[in-house]
Amino acid sequence: MNDPDVVIVGAGADGPATAWKLAHDHGIDVLLLEGGPWHGNEQWPKPHADSGGTISTDPDDLDGKLLDEQFTHREADANDPTYGYLRVGPADHSRAPWFRNLHQNAFIWQVGAVGGTSLHYFSNHPRGYPTAFNDQPHWPIDYEELVPYYQLNEELTSTQQAPMTAKEEVFIEGADALYPLIESKNVTETGWRPQANAVEVPGRETATGEPLDADYEGSFSYDDGFRGDTLVGDHFQGSSTPVDAPVRDKARKSSNVGYVPRALDTNKSSEQGNVALRPNAYVTDIQTKEGAGTLEATGVTFRDSWSGQSQTVTADTVVLAGGCIETPRLWLNAGLPDDGWVGKGLTTHWFDWIVGVYDDETVADINPEVEHMDPYVGQNSAVRFDKPGVGGMEDIGMSPGLVSYADYLFSQAGYSFDTEVDPSEPWDTRGYVVGEELKRRMSNYKQTKALLILTDDLPRQSNGVSLDNTFSDEHGPVPKVKWEPHPDDDAKRDELSRIAANIHKEAGADHVHRCDWPPLLLHMQSSMRMGEVLDENAEAKNVNRLFVADHSAMANGVGGPNPTNSGQALALRTADKIAERYF
Amino acid sequence: MKGIGGLAALSMSGATIAEAEDVLNDSVPSDPHTLDTYRSIVDAIVPRTPQLESELGPEHVPGGLDVELEKFLVWDFNHFQEIRAEMVTEKGLLDGPSDAEMPLEMFESVLDLTNLGGLFGPDSPLDAVLNLADLDLLDLDLGLDDDALEEALTFGPVERYDISFADDVASSSGPAAFELLVETANETTHQVVQNYPYAPAFTLVFDIVAAEFIARGENEDAIKRDRSKFPAGGTFVQLSPEDRLRCLWTIVDGGAIDRLDDLLSPLVPDVGILKYVVMAVNGLHGFGYYTEWSGLGETKTNNPTERSLSTPAGEVQSRQQSGYPGPADGYAANWRHAVDGGFADPDVEELNLPSNLEGDDVIEGIGGGT
Repeated sequence: MNDPDVVIVGAGADGPATAWKLAHDHGIDVLLLEGGPWHGNEQWPKPHADSGGTISTDPDDLDGKLLDEQFTHREADANDPTYGYLRVGPADHSRAPWFRNLHQNAFIWQVGAVGGTSLHYFSNHPRGYPTAFNDQPHWPIDYEELVPYYQLNEELTSTQQAPMTAKEEVFIEGADALYPLIESKNVTETGWRPQANAVEVPGRETATGEPLDADYEGSFSYDDGFRGDTLVGDHFQGSSTPVDAPVRDKARKSSNVGYVPRALDTNKSSEQGNVALRPNAYVTDIQTKEGAGTLEATGVTFRDSWSGQSQTVTADTVVLAGGCIETPRLWLNAGLPDDGWVGKGLTTHWFDWIVGVYDDETVADINPEVEHMDPYVGQNSAVRFDKPGVGGMEDIGMSPGLVSYADYLFSQAGYSFDTEVDPSEPWDTRGYVVGEELKRRMSNYKQTKALLILTDDLPRQSNGVSLDNTFSDEHGPVPKVKWEPHPDDDAKRDELSRIAANIHKEAGADHVHRCDWPPLLLHMQSSMRMGEVLDENAEAKNVNRLFVADHSAMANGVGGPNPTNSGQALALRTADKIAERYF
Repeated sequence: MKGIGGLAALSMSGATIAEAEDVLNDSVPSDPHTLDTYRSIVDAIVPRTPQLESELGPEHVPGGLDVELEKFLVWDFNHFQEIRAEMVTEKGLLDGPSDAEMPLEMFESVLDLTNLGGLFGPDSPLDAVLNLADLDLLDLDLGLDDDALEEALTFGPVERYDISFADDVASSSGPAAFELLVETANETTHQVVQNYPYAPAFTLVFDIVAAEFIARGENEDAIKRDRSKFPAGGTFVQLSPEDRLRCLWTIVDGGAIDRLDDLLSPLVPDVGILKYVVMAVNGLHGFGYYTEWSGLGETKTNNPTERSLSTPAGEVQSRQQSGYPGPADGYAANWRHAVDGGFADPDVEELNLPSNLEGDDVIEGIGGGT
């Protein structure tokens, strides 16, 4: 793979989808470079301790049991961005993560590894709201144009309606009393619905041939015959269930599961292109030459994070898929033209988090067969609410480390012992919860659930990524990140928070708490957006043969729904456009 | 982790590489001031709660200090940022630093509190900070009584805090190691750590911010000067538990770091990150205390590949308090589909989207009733 047709920078959620489409449908040879490690690959048996192999092209290198060993499902091991195995940093875990300069009470939550931040997600795959495409002038393409790509992506990622377990029934108790059920994937009206999730159906086949329900007594091991989702809420820890399953048969289709095996499969067909994936390869520069009146990309330079050696590869086309922070950082460090929107216009769904604590009797009335909601049983987020034009929300159950952080230890409102609550608002407390009260609330963990607010925040030039003038790492100046809400975004978030509190109360919550989160940069979108930096094919306006195929290419936050399905669908379309234009 | 006895008399210039390597392998390098300062935060956020025993049971009594959560905070902050030697430059090179190079002085700092009150030394801890910042009291415009600030500021038993590169960065490359020396009247803690040792730097910042907090009269509870619970702490630990958190919040929402920028700048490479740090100070109780971290026994501050549970994940102290049984391979649970037959999904030609796609009116919707 010394002479690929296309080099893709980043093997996160979108890079592998692009690679698969280019090779599978167009016979194009692709080299994928990923700055972070590769888990579950025999070439790298100890990815955080030893440099391992160099490159992998063989789907037989993938090893699901190795993935089980590496993804321990332990919370501190996985989730802490400094301490955990899922972080943005060199694979070598004796080293610190890669630094981003953030001058805010805010948190950036991403993963640098094969699979990217899709290793660390709830696998929610709703489509963007049609209104976000059709009514905002900065979207250069129609919703209808993306629908076939959504359909393809949903087929490849096993996207379907999520299962309703005890905690979801409590949400439905509140939501269904106030709003209609939505039965379409194309959401144009307000209502609630099960999530569209990239997780296989629970217990598609079980070890005993009996259905997966409360009476099931069989094993959850793939070796014993179990197929599909096992109803464990550990998706944020990497989720390698069913245990023992080959990588491609893990139930949750993060891109290392849903796309990477498929992309490597193309190497076994003489009709299709070849795909090679090299982890531990951080791209530091984009090579260009002067073309006819404009710049033209000719390749990239990358640095091996173990050896420190740099190498340049040439290609006919370069695709940036490093994510909303690293893609503009690379662009700026490469000295490519900036017309004022490179790195800008970042959206993040201006989240909030509304917590309901329920008493045992209320939950038992809704779910006569179980005593608790047990937020760790079932998928992390299996039911949602949509309000196009404003945003949405989703019902969340997680393990207690994440719950204590998200419910009580992440706020912009100060400490609840000093924070007054407006009596006309539908929540009882607001802000950080600490001390005796924190321990009291966490003692109710099994009867606690939160609703995540996802606001339709719009792109603004003042928000985004620039090069830091204080710190540099081995790749050059580090990214400096800034995101602040606009008053209109605050108004939408307040409205959704009130709706969430009302749903909790309608369902019978004993206590409702509004966290009033500061910016959480998790659903990052639109920092290199189409309509500004990119044209309608996602090719750079100022550099030919340079495309962006990650969530930064999205022109906005698609109205509030989780962005993975939209980012991947757009990346599949971009692959077709690359093939049409240059091959 | 107390001071390392064998290195008690080690001077900065006398450190050998072998000795440096010994301390580099120390899992949670910390001086007493640093540990006690974080202990005082842990105690404010996850305290012992004997008062909950009768209501919730004896498992709800112990708190974060019982599992040494302060070590998690120290480990995390000291692994927060790698500084590459090849990106550091001495000032004054003929061709000047490039945009990507960082001046060496940004990372080196000496706070000298020896000989307080004398002709040859600073008059007070504030005086020592002003010396470090090359400032005069008159340069400060804090809008408060300087005497009150001077009166309030102490770093406890710390007499000297000295942070420098362990190697000659001009002739090396790769992750830089730092030497940190903290001297108190009774013991000297000397560490060599890879990555910038933010953990001890932040605790000095917290003392200065606390002194301003007190000087402004923002503390709601009386300060406690005997420091009996956290004997190696400074001004910060004199605050009541709630005031410690109120004090941290002045960094995020009270303008403290803007007012104190000149004083704090020599102590941390970039004062601007302190708002993020306050987020992390709070949040790390979730990543540490309420996870299985305390079950990792002696391996709790090892690299991920070298950690192993000595207490099952579902049985650690915090999990007994929350009732979470720990990770499982699967759950036998009842479930159903909410949309019979699955979502409707016509081909694109048959979508028939409504002609008005403006979405629900955000203004009309405010109030949550719709």
